[in-house]
Amino acid sequence: MTVDTSTRAEAALLADALRQFEVERFYTKEAALLDAHDYEQWVQLFSDDTHYFMPIRRTRLRRELDKEFTQPGEMAYFDESKEFLLTRVAKITSGLAWAEDPPSRTRHIITNVRVVEDRGDELEVHSNFLLYRTRLKSEETTWIGSRRDLLRRTEGSFLIARRHILLEQTLLLSQNLSNFF
Amino acid sequence: MAIADQTLHELVSLERGEVDRSIYSDPDIYEQEMKEIFGRSWLFLCHETQIPKRGDFVEAPMGRDNVLVVRQRDGSIKALLNTCAHRGNAVCRADEGNAKNFMCTYHGWTYDIAGNLVGVPGQKELYHDELDMSAHGLRGVAQLDTYKGFVFATSDPSAPPLAEFLGRTGRAGLDMIACQGDMEVIPGVQKFVIPCNWKFAVDNLFDWYHPQITHLSAMSLDMFANQAMPESKRVDIDGVATQEGAQLRLPGGPAGGDNVDELVFVDIFGHALAGPTRDTYVGVTGSDSWRDSEQAREALGPVARRAAGHTNIFPTLWINPAGGQISLRVPRGPFETEIWWYSFVPREAPPEHRALVLAMANHVFGPAGLLEQEDGENWNQSTMTTTGLASRRIPHVLKMNLGRGKVVNDVDSMDPPYIECGINEHGQLWTYAAWAQWMSGCSWDELRERTIPPAVL
Repeated sequence: MTVDTSTRAEAALLADALRQFEVERFYTKEAALLDAHDYEQWVQLFSDDTHYFMPIRRTRLRRELDKEFTQPGEMAYFDESKEFLLTRVAKITSGLAWAEDPPSRTRHIITNVRVVEDRGDELEVHSNFLLYRTRLKSEETTWIGSRRDLLRRTEGSFLIARRHILLEQTLLLSQNLSNFF
Repeated sequence: MAIADQTLHELVSLERGEVDRSIYSDPDIYEQEMKEIFGRSWLFLCHETQIPKRGDFVEAPMGRDNVLVVRQRDGSIKALLNTCAHRGNAVCRADEGNAKNFMCTYHGWTYDIAGNLVGVPGQKELYHDELDMSAHGLRGVAQLDTYKGFVFATSDPSAPPLAEFLGRTGRAGLDMIACQGDMEVIPGVQKFVIPCNWKFAVDNLFDWYHPQITHLSAMSLDMFANQAMPESKRVDIDGVATQEGAQLRLPGGPAGGDNVDELVFVDIFGHALAGPTRDTYVGVTGSDSWRDSEQAREALGPVARRAAGHTNIFPTLWINPAGGQISLRVPRGPFETEIWWYSFVPREAPPEHRALVLAMANHVFGPAGLLEQEDGENWNQSTMTTTGLASRRIPHVLKMNLGRGKVVNDVDSMDPPYIECGINEHGQLWTYAAWAQWMSGCSWDELRERTIPPAVL
């Protein structure tokens, strides 16, 4: 009996570990595509019904923290369908997008990956990110925040069916957002 | 140290179409701007729909001061300096919200939403009831008024009334938003920082010469196809080539030659408008039928109803009627400017129109906007080169259509003084000319008189 229980627990732990590995491998690959400026490949990681959303954050008192972020249907920094993501990729790869020519040097660090819900075909995954960017001679930007993703299982990997990006900034401390998160 | 009139006169030349580059980085100039421009002018604070309920507030900048714009019990609006009357601490640290009162977190002095001091810890035991609480309320602004829901304030008690300050151009600019319906601000003000001088950000809003190059990558997208300039109207760009020598191909506007109608308003106190007419530009939402409404016919003259360009209410409020958006340029230092975007939608708009307005507001301007991504770096580099000893001796050049702009100024018309021509740099140059007058510290009467446009620009 005890042997069975501990075996089952080990099996569950192993399944967890495998799932964690799959998710983290996916995020590592995604980050590598972004840092290599391979946006055409990167955008293929999103499902056709995806929603890529970065709300506006406001400094609010603790009792009004539920109103800290804008919601879909309100103003945002990113509010993208797959079609709009493809439009952004077309722009950045046009050779005419001066904000990224010379290209920014970026490094995406993805950590604290947590599968918060597993519905079999879809996973709710929270992660933290650090996006470091330098441009030209001395321009330096650091964005830190969290991503709330819906990952859909497909052919041994995932598609990003939803990504909400929550930045740890209210007033955006950069002159633009010409990179992806 | 005040800068002498003679020096100011030399900084801006209407005749040559030149501006001295030092105005973008000289710290003395910046200090004088804070005093003579931002310390006197009517400044935009918010739109009434941002604070609909009693106790609703937003914080807004007025030069280096911060004010709390608060909806009162009787429905009126007050703007209170966000500084405790005791030791000066901010009495509110949230950007926006709803409050029953404002309590300073230093010693607990508490103010009601009208700014009255209503609570002082130890008033009896420590102050022996000798502190005159009526004398230590939150200080209000010198004057506050609204125009069609847009809330403005000034720190100068001698400033003329708001409607008079706005003049025909300022009122027309605001009416171009107000006439689009029962307008409300969509929740969420985009705010970001560009390391540039605020005047580069203002200069650019009149600039219909730059989109074809600066925003070439966006203009090439299907999304902007409805703004493409017909082949026959495109400007000649022979000689424009990239570093590897490739000739650029222009997909289209918004830019055209002399055969394209542009309208410019140049008005008192430095207010101006520049851009295409509705015949060549309706913007990305693809409809400007509001211009034919009864409301628009009452508020706007026939010329203003044709003007689809951008208004600047001096000094820093940009109105973009095609997108239903306004943008505030907030100076934070000679080398730092915050951009605040407010987006409007008619309350009565059907869901699909609302969705279109939102999509355009979220995709065209703002820090991630397909257009605005490219602007910051231009303004940043333009600002920083003015610190170079040799680079700053080169003038800032605004010579397009110089000396050819005939100003039609019918004082009995509701239409502002206007120029009809092709792409031009009149709006920018007029802004700098008025800027020099503001900086001289002259009286309001002198300022009005000196900013009546001449017959030709």
